[in-house]
Amino acid sequence: MPALEPVEGWRVVATPSALDGARWNGDDVDVLRIAPDEALALGATGVEIDDPDAIVEPEAGFSVAMLDVDDWHGVVDHIDWPLPEEPTVLAQGKVAGVPARIVLGEPTLLVVQAAYANELRSRLGW
Amino acid sequence: MTDAPAEVAGRIVVDGRPIEFADGDSVAVAIVRTGEVPGHGGCLCLAGDCGNCLAEVDGVAYVRTCQVAARPGTVVVRHPAGGKPQLPVVDWRDLTLMPVGSKIAVRRTEADVAVIGGGSSGQSAVEAARSAGRDVLLLDARDGSEVVGIYPGPSIVARDPGGMLHVRADEIVVATGSVEIQPACPGSDLGGIVTAGAAERLEAAGVDLGRVVHVGRELLRFEGDAGRVSAVVTVGMDATETTTPCETAVVDLGRAPRDVLARMSRAEGVSAVGPAAEDQPLPAPPRDGVVCPCMGTTVDDLEAAWDQGYTDLELLKRASWAGLGPCQGGACLPHVRSWIAARTSGPPPAPFTARPAARQITLAEAAADVAIDAFRRTPLHDEHLTLGARMDRFGGWWRPWHYGDAVAEYWAVREGVSVGDVSTLGKLVVSGPDVVEALERIYPCHVADIKPGRSRYALLLNERGHVMDDGMILRDAETRFTLTFTSGGAANAEMWLRDWIQTWGLRVHVMDRTMSLAAINVTGPLVKTLLARLGLEDAPRFLGHIRAEIAGVPCHVMRLSFTGETAFELHHPLDGSVALWRALMDAGRDLGVRPHGLQALFGLRLEKGHVIVGMDTELDTTPRRLGMDWAVRMEKPAFIGRASLERTAKLDDSRRWVGFSMDGEAPTEGSPIRSVENGEIIGNVTGSWTSPLLRKALMLGWQRRTPFADRVEIDGREAVVTPTPFYDPEGHRARA
Amino acid sequence: MVSEHIASLQPIAWHEPRDSYDVVIIGGGGHGLSTAYYLATRHGITNVAVVEVDYIASGNTGRNTTIIRSNYAIPEAIRFYDHSRQLYAGLEAETGAAIFHRVKGHVWIAHTEMGMRTERGRVLMNQAMGVDTELLGPADVKRLVPQVDLTGAGRYAVLGASHHVPAATARHDRVAWAFASGASSRGVHLIQHRPVTGLLRDGDRVVGVETAAGPIRAGVVLSAVGGWVSQVAAMARIRLPVRTHPLHAFVTNDFEQGLDKIVASTELACYVSQTERGQMLIGAEFDSQPSFSRLSSFDALRSYAYKISALLPFLRSMRILRTWAGLCDISADFSPIMGETGVDGFLITTGWGTWGFKAIPAGGEAMAELIATGRTPGLIAPFGLDRFRHDLAMADQASAGTR
Repeated sequence: MPALEPVEGWRVVATPSALDGARWNGDDVDVLRIAPDEALALGATGVEIDDPDAIVEPEAGFSVAMLDVDDWHGVVDHIDWPLPEEPTVLAQGKVAGVPARIVLGEPTLLVVQAAYANELRSRLGW
Repeated sequence: MTDAPAEVAGRIVVDGRPIEFADGDSVAVAIVRTGEVPGHGGCLCLAGDCGNCLAEVDGVAYVRTCQVAARPGTVVVRHPAGGKPQLPVVDWRDLTLMPVGSKIAVRRTEADVAVIGGGSSGQSAVEAARSAGRDVLLLDARDGSEVVGIYPGPSIVARDPGGMLHVRADEIVVATGSVEIQPACPGSDLGGIVTAGAAERLEAAGVDLGRVVHVGRELLRFEGDAGRVSAVVTVGMDATETTTPCETAVVDLGRAPRDVLARMSRAEGVSAVGPAAEDQPLPAPPRDGVVCPCMGTTVDDLEAAWDQGYTDLELLKRASWAGLGPCQGGACLPHVRSWIAARTSGPPPAPFTARPAARQITLAEAAADVAIDAFRRTPLHDEHLTLGARMDRFGGWWRPWHYGDAVAEYWAVREGVSVGDVSTLGKLVVSGPDVVEALERIYPCHVADIKPGRSRYALLLNERGHVMDDGMILRDAETRFTLTFTSGGAANAEMWLRDWIQTWGLRVHVMDRTMSLAAINVTGPLVKTLLARLGLEDAPRFLGHIRAEIAGVPCHVMRLSFTGETAFELHHPLDGSVALWRALMDAGRDLGVRPHGLQALFGLRLEKGHVIVGMDTELDTTPRRLGMDWAVRMEKPAFIGRASLERTAKLDDSRRWVGFSMDGEAPTEGSPIRSVENGEIIGNVTGSWTSPLLRKALMLGWQRRTPFADRVEIDGREAVVTPTPFYDPEGHRARA
Repeated sequence: MVSEHIASLQPIAWHEPRDSYDVVIIGGGGHGLSTAYYLATRHGITNVAVVEVDYIASGNTGRNTTIIRSNYAIPEAIRFYDHSRQLYAGLEAETGAAIFHRVKGHVWIAHTEMGMRTERGRVLMNQAMGVDTELLGPADVKRLVPQVDLTGAGRYAVLGASHHVPAATARHDRVAWAFASGASSRGVHLIQHRPVTGLLRDGDRVVGVETAAGPIRAGVVLSAVGGWVSQVAAMARIRLPVRTHPLHAFVTNDFEQGLDKIVASTELACYVSQTERGQMLIGAEFDSQPSFSRLSSFDALRSYAYKISALLPFLRSMRILRTWAGLCDISADFSPIMGETGVDGFLITTGWGTWGFKAIPAGGEAMAELIATGRTPGLIAPFGLDRFRHDLAMADQASAGTR
């Protein structure tokens, strides 16, 4: 069973251009651009950003599963909306009825708010 | 014509009796092989079109046995003759479909073009699409892909041997071909009648049909013996009748479009081709006998309904029931149209529409892999369970309703110290050069004068001046605020703010922290003692807020009060929540700390007269009606709802929400409030609580008649309107 | 041999349309037909035409889930719907028509403390208004509805319910036909397949309707339209506080009778009853997205197939015969809008939400009285359009809607 575990990172809301130029601290950072003006940087330890009004907060409210190809097949069966075809693109929608974010790749990241993690685990039979 | 299969592939059980079947047999063919009929007579098509082979198969009633492959051990039970199946019986020891439908797989697939039907028109459609370089999916019922319906999208839902199939396509082509027209004449409900196509199938399966008579449009009626056909009566050009004895009658009355899917396919991107889309000559108008085998509608029924004025195809269908059965008019529609054309001496009416399901599925199959109502848990969920909480769903979250003794929880708050999980509160951070402007327009209170480190209670109003939500405005810095909302209203409040900020084009960033931060409300007269032990030396004064580490957990400490006692809300990252909660419980042990649930909280707030939006409010609740005009600053030039409030302020108002008290136990929430003069119902109780401290029943509720009464009747007792707060009206304890 | 159910059909009379009537009713659904019936029977007004875009009862009336109940939470609604319930109970005797009226009782199940709070309040308010509704614990629910899974599929445990004893069901198109028969036999004209395309005006007053087949003049025009009421009101230059949302429903095949009660759940937002033919008739909440589409939605079907079978697991192995959708006119406070509109000669009955079946007799009776006397009956006075101007919502969220 894939592990769906809490992760830490930074969350930033800023002007889109400032976010484009953000410099993320940390070794292994996955930046999810969840809106034009919002990014969730998993694994980041800090950020420099060129927007004096940016909201920059440490974020511990998400859980992430890293999915290999087999795991992913088990998840796809519970998605009833079209996924993007290009890899590494962020997709947002419901997985088994739970609001989720997906970064396709190797591995694929499945990201949910921690409040939903338990519900998602039980729905996916994890 | 009883006929054991040459090579037995297995046995199925029909009405408790095993029968043998040959490889490739459907359940219907296996039954016909024994010389019996799968249903209770009527012409068999063996193509999935009619309703004459319906039976219960493996616990599911109304299954077309011609569409189910016979497998060893398949259990078939015929529907009661002339009656209906009993409701399914649930084996309560084995609810294997728990949760509903989870054992049924759903496959989801996409195609440029989905073609329904693999006959010649379907194959042409497939080839045309493929040669245009398009990705094609073919769904053929003969391969077990039974289409339930075509839906907007367009999309298709089908059942296939692997489970359920959900298909999205750019284009859907209905190429379902044509059906054989069923006979509609006296005796057509006898057994032993098959269509020409069915006869071919049976012969190919090696079934001996006995003495066969082929009959076409010269058919007049069937004669029978013990429910089976014994002869076919035909009429010649010269009106002479000929009776031909037989054991099986094979009927060829021509074909009609197989158009159930075409008739429901009003979705964009759907087309019908081939015979499914082509008009065919209608059969001769039926003169007698059963027209609709599914519902048993006869020609006499059509006549009777027509004579009573039900002279529109749709009215006739509903009055006579012809076409309302499982085959959706597949069998009867050509006959009914022909009958109407003859009756009116006019053209036949257009066919009636069809609706899903074209091929039926069970509720479990429909519900397969459905996922609704994702309930949220706070990081303290397991702590609550450990402490014996009864969890309840509230505002989309699991929350502790009580921990076994709501009154003890109440006393802990009033006299000692208590912790409550308020992680579910809505929390937004807003920031930007226009943030004050935006909040001044959104909220009915002043915002600009809130100093950094201070906060203010605020109502959220809609354009009609009605209360949508409430919460706190906390100023973090010149251009940055934290806003809180109710648990149930948080999602709507977030959309509301984002919509308005975008509409106004203001430079404000919004970050939703609702599920990113947990929050613990620590409240009671001993709260400062407890928090000091965990590192909070300089507690903020009432309505102040600071950042501080408590038990090593970074917290946004907000000094407010919903309970009426000194209270601090500690907002903190989820990963520190369990540690913080345990630290509070441990450090407060000698202070008698205990957690409180929603039930105690509702009593505590009631003593303070605090409103709970959604529980106390209605769709037309203005601040004035709540007695909360103090939360609205009409001197502000503009805020959402202001124009409406200005207008409605001039109306005589007949609604107000007030406190009531009386001796004895609290009445049930929702109790009617009556006039003491005439007993008329003048309102209802929205909150009710037997105050352990004040030792009487306290209530909040609505009066909806003027003049407003000072004394009312609730629960058969007299209650008096009482100013709120009932408890500590000066608010000394919250500020202490 | 004529089947029993057909032998009980009452005749509907069809007349050659005239070009002028005392009253023209737009919309040949339940409310339009019942208004015509009560005009004819209670007030002797028969120079009336009901103008229908399709065939009679083709809209929401014929799509109904046919529950008749008065277990609302505010006195005005309880009074109105209970009067309607009583008219229904006497309708077969009054009209001689078989409408397959059956008293069954309505069990409204709660799964949360807040749900129980709602049901307790409903019971007390109903009893205070003389309406027979009682509170049930889980064991009582199981006794009345033995098929219920008290664990709610392990997810929606049953905490209790309210039981509205006199709740009933009736056959939807039989109800429409009973009124159509009674009205048309007294001379009311039923004009099918005649879309209304505009209103005739004389100054500020509405004096008839424009139709695809020519104008029809009228002393009074009543809109009893379902689904497209905003468009009809716009012809009278009225903007209604109404939004149109689709609602879906479905039935299974016919089974022997076995589910005695009407079973509903607020949290699950679905309900089921067994029809006189033996089908399980299942409905749910209206779509949150406004739309005029009457196409069935599989997403709706699967979610309420799930919900209702979580409560009643025997439904899982039943097959779905047919699904359909209709349009709901949802007013700003989820309650109906009846009466005068501020435009002379133009009255309205709308806001029937999830198809308005239970209100058909009382709504029609009251609108007929208003037309005949020019005075708004007290029973419907709280439901006037002007309540929105006076900021007096008939707010009863816990009872309105589909449930």
